[in-house]
Amino acid sequence: MPMIYFDNAATSWPKPPAVRAALDEYFGEAGGNPGRSGHRMSVAAARIVENAREVLAALFNASDPSRILFTHNATHALNLALYGLLRPGDHVLTTSMEHNSVMRPLRHLEGLGVEVTVIACTPDGRVDLEAVRRAIRRETRLLVTTHASNVAGRLNPVGDLAALAREAKIAHLVDAAQTAGSVPIDVRETGVDLLAFTGHKGLLGPTGTGGLYIRDGLTLAPLLRGGTGSDSAHETQPEFLPDAHESGTLNLAGIAGLGAAVRFLLEIGIEAVRAREQNLVAQFLAGASDISGITLYGPKDAALQCGLVSFNVGGAVPSEVGLILDESFGIMARTGLHCAPSAHRTLGTFPTGTVRFSFGWFNTPAEVEKALEALRQIAVWAAREAAVSHQEAVKTWTA
Amino acid sequence: MDGLISFFASHHAIRAEAVLKRNGLAAQLIPGPKDLSPNCGVALRFNYAIREEALALLAAKNVRIDGVHFYRPRTDNWNLFQAERR
Repeated sequence: MPMIYFDNAATSWPKPPAVRAALDEYFGEAGGNPGRSGHRMSVAAARIVENAREVLAALFNASDPSRILFTHNATHALNLALYGLLRPGDHVLTTSMEHNSVMRPLRHLEGLGVEVTVIACTPDGRVDLEAVRRAIRRETRLLVTTHASNVAGRLNPVGDLAALAREAKIAHLVDAAQTAGSVPIDVRETGVDLLAFTGHKGLLGPTGTGGLYIRDGLTLAPLLRGGTGSDSAHETQPEFLPDAHESGTLNLAGIAGLGAAVRFLLEIGIEAVRAREQNLVAQFLAGASDISGITLYGPKDAALQCGLVSFNVGGAVPSEVGLILDESFGIMARTGLHCAPSAHRTLGTFPTGTVRFSFGWFNTPAEVEKALEALRQIAVWAAREAAVSHQEAVKTWTA
Repeated sequence: MDGLISFFASHHAIRAEAVLKRNGLAAQLIPGPKDLSPNCGVALRFNYAIREEALALLAAKNVRIDGVHFYRPRTDNWNLFQAERR
């Protein structure tokens, strides 16, 4: 049975061959530590890091590569931005569609005296710009919004939100975990102040990589302090970028792979990736809306969502659908709650969750058609099971 | 298999599968049914009759579990359904 991987929003698979080659080259040929020593291997590793930083800056149209900081993932980048900017007494605005990588740090900061306002989105995941504008007050320091929901896929109007933030003289942090590498993002054109991204999803790089773009003129307190290979005579943290926020040895192998992945994407063009994923979403939405028993969530319009779809099959819970998809059809999907309880409440899918298909550059229309055929069969089965049987489940022992 | 063990994190689920299999017991990881436990993405099917032995083995290895369930999922009927349609 051929495998169909529809979980690219969790991590993309497969990675381009150039990524595997870059890792092999790093481990075999250029494995020094940049900035620590001046020898040729150290310099070779430094070139790998700076090349990756440059192609990322080009990808997001950042003014200067030194404004791109490497982190371990988007969660790390979001924590750096939130803890680096917010202080007790500050007010922060966010939306009900955010992932726990934003919500959990914010709920912790709330305990430290930061005031948090969560703007309720519509049941299909749309944020009301007027509601955001109305919630801004004198103490408001930051607006945090996802670029696209990891549950419903809806794309937020980043340019409009950034303009609104700029007008109110507050910073705007965008969580691009689901869009970096698969939806075009231009930080200068949109005026985004902070952009958090991960390397292993749309960017097609290895896990353990990610980063934060910081607009020129904005300063953050470091999340970690330590050795940077620079300013080594001093026991205080350097203030210049990127060193201020890159203490400790970087994930060099991962960054080597990420650089190769971004070069691969720049060659294809992000517009082409976006077009391919949008076509797969449109094909899925058209097919699924004709299947009796399937409920779709989110905008249900490929132009308004990133490369993912969320749905349920009437009469079945998401884990049942996921098990059959995997075992009988070789289709890998994510099921249940996608680490975003507030988003599920907004969509009305809490606590059961949804089945999520997330497409990537390497998926094909034939795979989507196979999945639709699988869902046609599962929908018939689920409707019949719901009528004739129930799941026997009794909890008999609890920790 | 008519039993299910749910966990708080996949760390424990993966370890539990290894412990049971190493001791010759049938075990299969499946997507965690949210209606039984909201905590973890995967759960472990096993034979309910040997639950005391299984629990003792897991406790001995410090594997933390959320709960034990008698569990006969409807998805077991899926293969019958497909056979009928052929």
